Amino acid sequence: MVGLPYDCLANPLGAVRLTFEKAVASGSDPAALDGKDWGAAELFRQFLFDDGGLSQVPMLNPSTINWVQPNTLVRFRGMIQDMLGNEYYVGAYKDGDTWRTNKFADASTCPMDASSDMRIWERRLLYCVPVPGQSSWVEPSHEAMKSPYTNSVSPQREKRHREDDTNMIDIDMDSEHDLEDSPNSKKLKIGTEQNSSNLSMVPAIGRNSLPCLVKIYDSLESDLKLNDVFEFVGIFTFDPDVTVDRDDNDELIDSFCEDVSVHLPPTKVPRLHCVAHRKLVVDDFLSSPILEFNPCAVKELREAVLGHLTAVLGNDRVAAQYVLLHLLSRVHARIDSIAVGKLSLNLTCLNKESMSVFGNHLKVAMENLLPFTQHLPLTLDYLNTVSLAPKKDYSTNRLVSGFLQLAEGSHLTIDETPLQAGTLNSNGVENARVLKNLMQSQKVEYDFTYYKMEMAADVQLLVLSEGKSNLLPADLVLPFRPSSVGSTFGVDEEMLKAWRLYLATMKLLPHSIESHVQKVIEDDLVAARQADRSLGSEEFSRWLTMGRLMSVSFGETCLSVEHWQMVKELEGLRKERLLGNM
Amino acid sequence: MDGLIFNQDKETAKDFLTNFADPDGEAKYMNILQDVANRKTKAVQIDLEDLINYKDLDEEFLRRVTENTRRYIGIFANAIDELLPEPTEVLLDDDPDILMTQRAEDGTDNAGGSDPQRKMPPEIKRLYEVYIKASSKGRPFTIREVKASYIGQLVRISGIVTRCSDVKPLMQVAVYTCEECGFEIYQEVTARVYMPLFDCPSEQCKVNQAKGNLIPQLRASKFLKFQEAKLQELAEHVPKGHIPRTMTIHFRGELTRKVAPGDIVELSGIFLPIPYTGFRAMRAGLIADTYLEAMSVSHFKKKYEEYELRGDEEEQIARLAEDGDIYNKLSRSLAPEIFGHEDVKKALLLLLVGAPHRKLKDGMKIRGDLHICLMGDPGVAKSQLLKHIINVAPRGVYTTGKGSSGVGLTAAVQKDPITNEMVLEGGALVLADMGICAIDEFDKMDELDRTSIHEVMEQQTVSIAKAGITTSLNARTAVLAAANPAWGRYDLRRTPAENINLPPALLSRFDLLWLILDRADMDTDLELARHVLHVHQAKESPDLGFTPLEPSVLRAYLSAARKLSPAVPRELEEYIASAYSSIRQEEAKSNTPHSYTTVRTLLSILRISAALARLRFSDNVAQSDVDEALRLMQMSKFSLYSDDRQRSGLDAISDIYSIVRDEAARSNRMDVSYAHALNWISRKGYSEAQLKECLEEYAALNVWQIHPSTFDIRFIDA
Repeated sequence: MVGLPYDCLANPLGAVRLTFEKAVASGSDPAALDGKDWGAAELFRQFLFDDGGLSQVPMLNPSTINWVQPNTLVRFRGMIQDMLGNEYYVGAYKDGDTWRTNKFADASTCPMDASSDMRIWERRLLYCVPVPGQSSWVEPSHEAMKSPYTNSVSPQREKRHREDDTNMIDIDMDSEHDLEDSPNSKKLKIGTEQNSSNLSMVPAIGRNSLPCLVKIYDSLESDLKLNDVFEFVGIFTFDPDVTVDRDDNDELIDSFCEDVSVHLPPTKVPRLHCVAHRKLVVDDFLSSPILEFNPCAVKELREAVLGHLTAVLGNDRVAAQYVLLHLLSRVHARIDSIAVGKLSLNLTCLNKESMSVFGNHLKVAMENLLPFTQHLPLTLDYLNTVSLAPKKDYSTNRLVSGFLQLAEGSHLTIDETPLQAGTLNSNGVENARVLKNLMQSQKVEYDFTYYKMEMAADVQLLVLSEGKSNLLPADLVLPFRPSSVGSTFGVDEEMLKAWRLYLATMKLLPHSIESHVQKVIEDDLVAARQADRSLGSEEFSRWLTMGRLMSVSFGETCLSVEHWQMVKELEGLRKERLLGNM
Repeated sequence: MDGLIFNQDKETAKDFLTNFADPDGEAKYMNILQDVANRKTKAVQIDLEDLINYKDLDEEFLRRVTENTRRYIGIFANAIDELLPEPTEVLLDDDPDILMTQRAEDGTDNAGGSDPQRKMPPEIKRLYEVYIKASSKGRPFTIREVKASYIGQLVRISGIVTRCSDVKPLMQVAVYTCEECGFEIYQEVTARVYMPLFDCPSEQCKVNQAKGNLIPQLRASKFLKFQEAKLQELAEHVPKGHIPRTMTIHFRGELTRKVAPGDIVELSGIFLPIPYTGFRAMRAGLIADTYLEAMSVSHFKKKYEEYELRGDEEEQIARLAEDGDIYNKLSRSLAPEIFGHEDVKKALLLLLVGAPHRKLKDGMKIRGDLHICLMGDPGVAKSQLLKHIINVAPRGVYTTGKGSSGVGLTAAVQKDPITNEMVLEGGALVLADMGICAIDEFDKMDELDRTSIHEVMEQQTVSIAKAGITTSLNARTAVLAAANPAWGRYDLRRTPAENINLPPALLSRFDLLWLILDRADMDTDLELARHVLHVHQAKESPDLGFTPLEPSVLRAYLSAARKLSPAVPRELEEYIASAYSSIRQEEAKSNTPHSYTTVRTLLSILRISAALARLRFSDNVAQSDVDEALRLMQMSKFSLYSDDRQRSGLDAISDIYSIVRDEAARSNRMDVSYAHALNWISRKGYSEAQLKECLEEYAALNVWQIHPSTFDIRFIDA
């Protein structure tokens, strides 16, 4: 195609319309186009992925929302927090003698009378929020976002340019729609702030709380799952100035008005009509290119990370080894009710004083190394008042997010040291149960009042406590023995990048056990159980997980006897410490 | 053109209503219409099933009814209007009758007005409502399967009711009278919102330019009962990683007040869009809300007795029943992921089957439900077994002895927070009536509940006398309990009675008390290690060597088996009696009895045998059933007996001998190498010294010969 008659970036609706007209002209029955693509998605796919247009699409975040124009293409990265079900809209209708479509649009481009022939189509609504606990380094830098747009133009100039674009769009821009940017943005900021405080739907994660209502067309239901992290590319609509007409709702006040526009007014939550979406993996959050790993480099990197962790943990190398294994763990299979591959860690012997030093060091280190981290200081009051698990609110028909609604692969540090003796109320008991369940089976029960639904989670859990935590039974309990307070700061950014990449890449390595190693392990396990009757399948499973993680940390995909021995030694050291602690 | 089809279809509808005959040959719908005419019923429910079975079925007509249901309700209503017979009973004049008489008189005065607002809409005369019920064949839709393409169609869905509004009146026909001309003006209301009329549209007022004021007449208007509810998908229908969907349901007329929040229901109804009106339509523009206009409601029931076999299940059961090994096959399919415990699983299978209840002539009832108590060391998968059984049983409640609300296990009288009335609330045992109640941590149960559980387990009722309420509730439930020994772990140095921390009165009520001990055993350890390794390597459960039956098949088989009530033939009576007396004798001889054998034990034997006969789909208990029942009772305490032997020290020698002999017999050899023998006995937890002792002792008895240097064993032929 030479010279597109439309600009996919600035006037995506034009592209939608043109392809629709083309499809109708070529003889397709407009009624049969429901749930099907008539070429628009293909066009966008080509533009975004084949022609490299993706990098030109601005990212939607609190800073860019001020200048992104409605009805243009934007990107949004977020976690699917809630699914609002289907929305039925007039997909195609007859305006006089020609068919028009409303796909990818909020409102009709021209008035239509009710009697005209129309087809009702459906689209799915997803409520997305920024990934909880996203580390600051994950956000792509804003310059990188703007620059590819027009390289040499100043931002001012760019705006002008974009305004011209919008004028060209023959969409009836309501007169109420203000094209001036500055007053608009001011209102908008207030809007978003109110939003996060009013609707406590968005987990309080501070600086970056821009939710987005994504409307999905023609995709398989199984593609998008709750708590998945996605990048959506779509047509942005946002009307900060429109007031929802409240009077109209009065008559229906008693009825179950669950119209999304009431609870998530378009003035507060931007909408995105999704044209393309893709699931994000950790690599997408790392800005550096994929490094080539050779065994030697991996070993060096491993040593470096271990060194860093040792420094963070006050020269406790055993603890550092365990933390490294812990950071590499993920649930890689679910068999019956067991989540295979999880490795939660409980560091004990931390009191309030040491917490203030090492707790903070650990927190900073985690944030630096992992893309999604959360820190949860447990207090009696907190347990008794909040609801950790997400809960369905039937009066608004929304899933109220809880602290434990986390994206796959998140890291959660639970600090038990502030917990005082006291009484838990029923809410507290419920929260403790939910936490325990997460620890044991990596599942969170979502409360739907009439029944509970278990959602699989994959969260690395690190518990910091004074004694062994009985509230939160971790796979591993390790008394923490710091010997010095090392300075952990001044790690340079390049090193951090490599470490992040190391952790992210090694985590996903495949793993296998060969038959001769298997024999060794089998014998070891039986011997261990003969020696100590209290060992059970849990311990065996944990050792095998550790074996896996140990070999993976060396970048190897096959368990060797050597690494198995290392695990046994490590466990020996831990057992010694545990006994010494009694 | 369209009108023609509709007129034709009205005739088809009339034909169907007059001529349809149910299996008994009764004119089903004419009978209903007679009831309507006699004011006995208000609902005319047309079952699509009947339409399908109707002899002169027109496929096209059926399709039109399912796809444009709302229109066809009107067509059926018109057909009924014409068919409605005269009442056969004397009726008292009601308000509507008086109004109708008046209207009829009026009508003669000023007939001829072709004005639509003057014509009386047929709805106002109708004293019935028409519902079209979807065919109950096949699986109902889940909410997420109802898509835009189903708009306007009749669908059947299942779900749980989450919210219900109050029942409110909904205007169906608004009636006004004009101040000027005195005419009655009718306005049909089809939407939830309507614009009232203000100016009289009658011919007379128009001609006179009078603009007569209209006064709404509430008494003359027709209202419908109206209720809104929210239906949510059932947990089992939600795909992994998704959130249950909801749907708005509108109930009208007779269907109101049929559901309450928390009910699991199956609905048939018409899936319809609600167009927005007014300003909202302009703003939200092109979005439509949808709802389901309910046509029929049925509540889900989960009981064996009401379990309906679906199409191919009957065949599957027949095939299974033909297979000889059904007892093993079914029991292995219970909790297939839990390794071993074959006999425990067999016992649990019998619990699911149960024996028939017996009612004697003098009114005494003998329970048929089996009670089983699993007692054992922590970590032997007791709780998993319990939970699995609850999943298989169509009606099961899982609770812990300590857990649950103030209602506890039995029942409690509670004050309703809203009405302040005393209400009786059933506990877990009452809720599990006609099902299975699994009680974990049975030993940690409240003293109060423990006393009332005596009654539940034998009389199968819960009596309550609190706060002025004396009553007894049915609790015909099979109790499956799990308990830990008195000191957490089974202590071999103490007597069984000390370890089993339950009073004999309670213990005797269990048909089977199963002791599961975690014993040091090389074989099981290796098995465990292999299992864990396999899970980590292959990322799947190890191959079971057989394909377990689906829980649904299991359930179907059990429900079929439960329909039988096998009897004990006379010739077996003597056999059972002698078996019972020998158990009593044995117990009298032993100084530390493991069990309390009472008359209840005899009943237990009968119950277990009957359950076994049910599994075979037999009407008679066979001797093999009794033998198996006795074996199970024996096996349940087997782990204790073998430990006894081990403890006594003296018996170790003979035990080793029997192990070696059995192993040799199995491989059909006369020679056994020393290494083999050592291997065998060490698996059972004996030492090498004990083996040597045994070798010498039995060599002295000339049972076998020992090779002087290698210690290999050669049996002397016996």
